[in-house]
Amino acid sequence: MRDAQERLALPTATSIWQRPIPVAAIILLALAIHGPLLVMELPATTSYDANLHIFFASHYAHHWFNPWNEKWFGGFSQTTYPPLTHQWIALLSNVVGLTEAFMLVQLAAVVLLAVAAYRFAQLWVDDRAASYAGVLAVFAGSIAFLVYSAGQLPTTMSAALFFLSLPYLYWWCRTASWRSLLKGIALSLAAASAHHVTLIFGSVLFALPVLGLAWYDARKSDQSGVSVIGRAVVFAAIAGVGVGVVLLPYWIAIIRHPIEQLPIPHASRSNLLMSWLYGMNYFIVPYGALLLALPFVVIKGASNPRLRILLLAFWVTFLLALGGTTPVPRWIFGRAFEILTYERFTLWATVLALPIVGLLVERAIDRSPRWGAIGFSTAAVASLALALGWLTWSPFRTTSSLNVDSVISFLNRDGHDQYRYLTLGFGNALSKVGTYANANSIDGEYNSARLLPEMTRYGAAQLTSAKYFGTAGMDSLRAMLQHANHYGLKFIFVHDPFYEPLLVFGGWRQVESYESGEITVWSKDDAVPAHAIPSDTIPAPWEGLMWGILPIGSSILAILFVLFLVEPPSILEGIAIPAETPESVYVNEVHL
Amino acid sequence: MKWGLALFLTIATLVLVAIAWFQSGGMKQHAMFSATTPEAAVQALMSDIQSHNYQRAFASLDPASDTDLPSFIRDVAGSDGSLRTYASLQSADVSPLHANQDEAVVRVRMNWSSAVGSLDDVRDLRVRREGSVWRVVWPKPAFPAVPPQVVSVNYLRWEVIGRNTSQAWGSQDVDSPKVRITSMNAISRPGRVVILGEVENEDTIPAYLNVNATLLKADGSPIEEEGSFDMISHVLLPKQVSPYRIDFPGIRMEDVKSVRMDARALLVPASADPVIAITDQAVSKDGLNRNVLKGDLINQSGRPVNIAQVLAAYYDDSGKVIWVSDGYVDQALMPQVPVPFAVDIPNDIAQRLKNYRVIVNHYSRTSS
Repeated sequence: MRDAQERLALPTATSIWQRPIPVAAIILLALAIHGPLLVMELPATTSYDANLHIFFASHYAHHWFNPWNEKWFGGFSQTTYPPLTHQWIALLSNVVGLTEAFMLVQLAAVVLLAVAAYRFAQLWVDDRAASYAGVLAVFAGSIAFLVYSAGQLPTTMSAALFFLSLPYLYWWCRTASWRSLLKGIALSLAAASAHHVTLIFGSVLFALPVLGLAWYDARKSDQSGVSVIGRAVVFAAIAGVGVGVVLLPYWIAIIRHPIEQLPIPHASRSNLLMSWLYGMNYFIVPYGALLLALPFVVIKGASNPRLRILLLAFWVTFLLALGGTTPVPRWIFGRAFEILTYERFTLWATVLALPIVGLLVERAIDRSPRWGAIGFSTAAVASLALALGWLTWSPFRTTSSLNVDSVISFLNRDGHDQYRYLTLGFGNALSKVGTYANANSIDGEYNSARLLPEMTRYGAAQLTSAKYFGTAGMDSLRAMLQHANHYGLKFIFVHDPFYEPLLVFGGWRQVESYESGEITVWSKDDAVPAHAIPSDTIPAPWEGLMWGILPIGSSILAILFVLFLVEPPSILEGIAIPAETPESVYVNEVHL
Repeated sequence: MKWGLALFLTIATLVLVAIAWFQSGGMKQHAMFSATTPEAAVQALMSDIQSHNYQRAFASLDPASDTDLPSFIRDVAGSDGSLRTYASLQSADVSPLHANQDEAVVRVRMNWSSAVGSLDDVRDLRVRREGSVWRVVWPKPAFPAVPPQVVSVNYLRWEVIGRNTSQAWGSQDVDSPKVRITSMNAISRPGRVVILGEVENEDTIPAYLNVNATLLKADGSPIEEEGSFDMISHVLLPKQVSPYRIDFPGIRMEDVKSVRMDARALLVPASADPVIAITDQAVSKDGLNRNVLKGDLINQSGRPVNIAQVLAAYYDDSGKVIWVSDGYVDQALMPQVPVPFAVDIPNDIAQRLKNYRVIVNHYSRTSS
């Protein structure tokens, strides 16, 4: 009994339990946990979008200043997607290869995200709780879900950069430090260059709460709230103009060709209560053990005036992440509800909740260091394990691991690349073919760039997965096959016998078979060689130049600013973040 | 404030979730699976079929249904690699035909998304009341069984040898089979121009054929080019004739000055097997009062045909092709077993037609 009491005794003030976890340790932890998974190239085989981003990067690797990519959809402009992560992959691919470069950039995003969660949490809670938030971010199910299942590198990178920029926004608003302004702006531009949607939503969901906090803290410290707002306006104006300039080719493309295609179904928009599988995929797995902490997040967030605005931001983001489970996203976004996907909101909600969860960990460890640490470590590891295990248990499997070498080899020989091709049943492996084959496909994985009427009129996504979109998908495929001659579509690679009847009746004949019959090649004898499809979406040369310089330039500038523009200690010393109002201290146990 | 805000957020979240649940049809779904009306019972059954939950669908049937689970699944989901096995239920419209206290008849129009396009299936289902719940009576499907027998196959078969396999398919060092478009008729239909006619393989070797048409303006410039796609028999044996139809949606006949036809043929290996006989052909009305060409297909060879497509050409009294229509059969053609088919005929065509001719295209898993 006595031993037990000694083991569970409260730590002293200098105990390791009472000190913040150093940021270096958080970085090492992120490297230790996610490094091996990324060295194994897990996203390339288990995620939906990793190969898509590698495909985009491969274009920049070959045509840095020409964003017009003819490999998909008969040609599309890559200015329709912010290029930062793709360009970094393209740069690194000159040293380590495309896939490895993707993994390196993804690893950087994960590490930055952990640091960003820590730095963001420092605004709201004490250093120790913030460091717990950073550690928990490493194990967050939503991050693992986005990296290993969704493969959304730009989202994770952009979130990391944007959350990193927010402390600088806070400090600029509080201290008028021009160094903070420059760093905040540069990081915001880099975030927009990685993923514009994150910046747009982040401005409301993350930046407004930070602005509110700066205003609240300023008022508490007898500073002028008006000056805080004024500086925020300056920040927003510079960032707005900067984003407008850096992503100018994107804005031009989107204004000229707004997305008018029929909405494509996405499971994250569904009511998660109507399908337990969707609920598992988009709610249980991403949040993991964080769900157990939600009551504390709500009660603690509501009880502390400084945390109240963070709680409200978390709540709104949490509701948006539920997709069609509440009517809120539909009310807010209107028609855009059918264009957006909602899994990224789960990541943002997680990062917004982590500062308060950090407080929970802190309190638990204060009360019972050993059991608190064990309990939360177990919960964190279980969350990550669930997200990784779900890659295997989930019925939503990708086909990224399909061996497509034979397809690429076929397309790259005997002049086969003078025709266009189509894959059927290849799922996400379509991007792998697109990356390494010289020939052009009429299909593609990037839905927003589709302009051909055979694809936009039916409300289905990739032709390679046509059957999963029911009548809409099969009608779209049928329309495309009917116009095969028009597009120079000669070769079709089939990895799913489901599509064979349509090909047989439509006039294709099987000519080759690979991978023990797993992949068959079909050909249409009267197809004429493909010709360029006229398009008014081809970016002007100056746009290509801007696209090749400004986005990556913004990220390099951000790195340089963060490394070399060090805040003088005198500035930060004068401004203190009000500490959390201490709550009553209760005696846990009284031993007589 | 502490508890007030926490309570507000919790209650607001629950209310919002409840609103979305109602909007998503949660209550409707609950009522449907409660099967308190004949329509709800059929809808619940269709919902289970749509989600491939055949066990639950079967369990919801009336015990009086004279069927077992394997027969039910075979009836609903198809078998033997038939088109139905390549299809999934997309939607089902339910409408009551008549009902009394304990029994009702409900018509269900099922739309299936299949590998070759959408399929429609209309069934009138008897629904019986059992306590407070209605249950569908699913009739036992009749699957004809053929006694074991030997079928001798001595049909012609053509092989191609000596072809340079390293060449791209289509680049052959032999003369192409001689094919000829024997008739071509351009007609105007609502919202489109249609080119139809017949093409014949005049050679003594089989041909693999595609027919394309280009509509031309008065100045000779092309308006649009389209192909026959699946409205043709692509493999033509020597002297065989196939109808074809090429649709040009969105084109008006007034804009078309002439048509350029292009029939490209290629020598391919082919076989006269399987032979599919067409019997009991007749033009009549279906249950929805539409004009249809009905008949039976009989696979006279020894191997199953997984998917069959019926292609029918209709002639007027001068012998001109006035329409070509097609239909896919959702059952597999098992040897010697008659399988019914029905192909739609537009009303105006039905009034003018004097004769018709039917050919059958097929897909079998083993031969592609």
